[in-house]
Amino acid sequence: MSQGDYQVPAVDPRRAKNRHTISAIFRVVCMLVAVQAVVILIVLLTTVFVRGVDQLSWDFLTGVHRDDNPDGSGLWPAIIGSIVICLICGAAALPIGIGTAIFLEEFKPRNKALAVLHNLVQLNITNLAGVPSIVYGILGLTAFVYMFGLFGTYEANKAADLEFGAQRYYQVRTAAKTFVWIPVTDKTLRVLKIEEPIAARYPDGGDFTLNVIDRGATKPTDPTVLGQTVYRGSKASIFAKHPWHYLRLPFHKSVLSAGLTLALVVLPIVIISSQESIRAVPDTMRDAGLGLGCTRWQMVRTIVLPASIPGIMTGAILAMSRAVGEAAPLLAVMGGVVGKRNAPENLMDNAAAMPITIYNWARDDNPGFWELSATAIIVLLCLLLTMNSIAILLRYWAEKKFASR
Amino acid sequence: MSSGTPVELPSALRKRRMRPSATSKRNQTFVVSLLTLCATLSIATTVGIVTILLTESFGFFSRIDLGDFLLGTEWTIGRSKNEADYKYGIWPLLLGTLRITLIAMAIAIPLGLTTAVYLSEYAPRWVRAILKPVLEILAGMPTVVLGYFAVVVITPSLLEPLGFKPYNAMAAGIAVGILCLPLVSSLAEDALQAVPRGLREAAYGLGGTRFDSVVKVVIPAAMSGIVSAFLLAFARAIGETMIVALAAGSIPTFTVDPRGPSQTMTGFIVEVFQSEDVIPGTIAYYSIYAVALTLFLLTFITTLIGQFVRRRYREAYE
Repeated sequence: MSQGDYQVPAVDPRRAKNRHTISAIFRVVCMLVAVQAVVILIVLLTTVFVRGVDQLSWDFLTGVHRDDNPDGSGLWPAIIGSIVICLICGAAALPIGIGTAIFLEEFKPRNKALAVLHNLVQLNITNLAGVPSIVYGILGLTAFVYMFGLFGTYEANKAADLEFGAQRYYQVRTAAKTFVWIPVTDKTLRVLKIEEPIAARYPDGGDFTLNVIDRGATKPTDPTVLGQTVYRGSKASIFAKHPWHYLRLPFHKSVLSAGLTLALVVLPIVIISSQESIRAVPDTMRDAGLGLGCTRWQMVRTIVLPASIPGIMTGAILAMSRAVGEAAPLLAVMGGVVGKRNAPENLMDNAAAMPITIYNWARDDNPGFWELSATAIIVLLCLLLTMNSIAILLRYWAEKKFASR
Repeated sequence: MSSGTPVELPSALRKRRMRPSATSKRNQTFVVSLLTLCATLSIATTVGIVTILLTESFGFFSRIDLGDFLLGTEWTIGRSKNEADYKYGIWPLLLGTLRITLIAMAIAIPLGLTTAVYLSEYAPRWVRAILKPVLEILAGMPTVVLGYFAVVVITPSLLEPLGFKPYNAMAAGIAVGILCLPLVSSLAEDALQAVPRGLREAAYGLGGTRFDSVVKVVIPAAMSGIVSAFLLAFARAIGETMIVALAAGSIPTFTVDPRGPSQTMTGFIVEVFQSEDVIPGTIAYYSIYAVALTLFLLTFITTLIGQFVRRRYREAYE
């Protein structure tokens, strides 16, 4: 083949060399830029670690916030608060999110109206994923905290009109100077005057009948009987005992409101990741099930779900770790709670949460709290790291399991 | 087949859970309606957001002039005791948001895209094995942590020597940029990897270098995906809350200067929430919804444009 047959473009060797130099430089530049991310992460983690590790102690983990004393303050209520909120969030978001993903992936309708709904949901989820979390916070505030004003106007510290599960008792002091409780029949009566024997119960359980004796009469000598005896005319005042499942409407600034709001925030993430893992199940497996003649739901339940569960769980854990670190919607729903001394006792209780505590400490006028903020960040990051490692392990395990098939 | 012998079911079908019986069909109808209910919940969320923002901000717009809101250059809600002294111009908040968002984009877009190019075109397996998890950790970093980082590291060590104030837009912008970087790089990397090998090989076949193939072939081919990644990051940066609440200060300023404090729309909302003395029904209360509506519209439009770009300009290689 001679040169004359083809027009080979003339190659200027110097230009070609230049281009190769440019390419080599570009490669190095790309690498340096990519390494930035590692540098940033290292700087971030080192700073937080150096600033916060000194205060990290058992006392810090088990203590409570003190307004005046950074050294004595601790994170315990916030840790429990975060975990409770996260559990509520998961209990609400996971079933709904996975259900939606199954609906979107496995039950594509042929019916025209349902097909429109189907497309609408799909489009909507992509858009919801882009909505700022503070907007969800405002939704949660109006929908869960105030309930759109449907159950009266919201007033802080006001007793709710609608409540379920609260147990009310009158508390009275016995002749043995212990306290016993009397179940309430009439809520409006704030104080009960005891004139005759009445059914009562010990605070730690156990029913009995309360004896009544006159003032000045001889006291029974048996301590058990003495503990079941009151003087005639003793006054018992009402109080409410709230079990963990206590509910009231509206929900007010409670862990339930916060958990449900976070559930809305992470719902799109759960749906999208579940969809992806359901999509990853090969169609041949579906066809095999349907070929047996079982219904579509039986096929999903016995074939698709077991195969995609590891992927779904991985997505779910990642979504939950997002929820644990989320602060803006919590600020909207619960306000900047920081001085909470105890862990939430029921669903209607207010609670401190780790991100909110970090935020408040970082803004405190006392610089001692800034260091404490770093310590709290270490605890939060450890929790996130644990959750992420579980997710990675799960993914690894699932990949191995499916690779062998 | 003689009519007397019973047909034996295949072994799989002898299991109850695989048998197409009347009960199982009824169950399916029940389950599907339950699933539909789950799915409609996401629509209810959107409807809820839109309705709440519209109806509640009506309480705001019925009392103040829309012109003042859209054109005013002062925002003083919550700063003085007297409601009559309030000024309702959205521009300081809007400008605060845009300033921080633009700084963030100036960091996240070039760094993110270059990282994506490196990951997709150059990175050897072992570098990927380090870089990918690092980016994932950065992406999952709680925003309060990045806000703290901005206050205690970025401002004192990088910016205060240059004459920046303790709370400034720049530090917040940089931290938001760090937040968006993993988002840009992972979405852009997906877009780059979707470009088929054949196109790259064609570029090499024409005598192109790696640089030529990346810059002149692969990036243009993946442009729709890259642009929609940028837009997603943009929406994320507009709506980012905790970083700006911590690092940017809380004074709404009508300026483009990044050295001083500024307040964003999200920052204002957070400030109102944590002050806890906002009573439902007052102007300050309704203003949250007006600001949130503006924020929602901005992010929503950005997301929509992103989806449009993705669909309209997508190059399909099948």
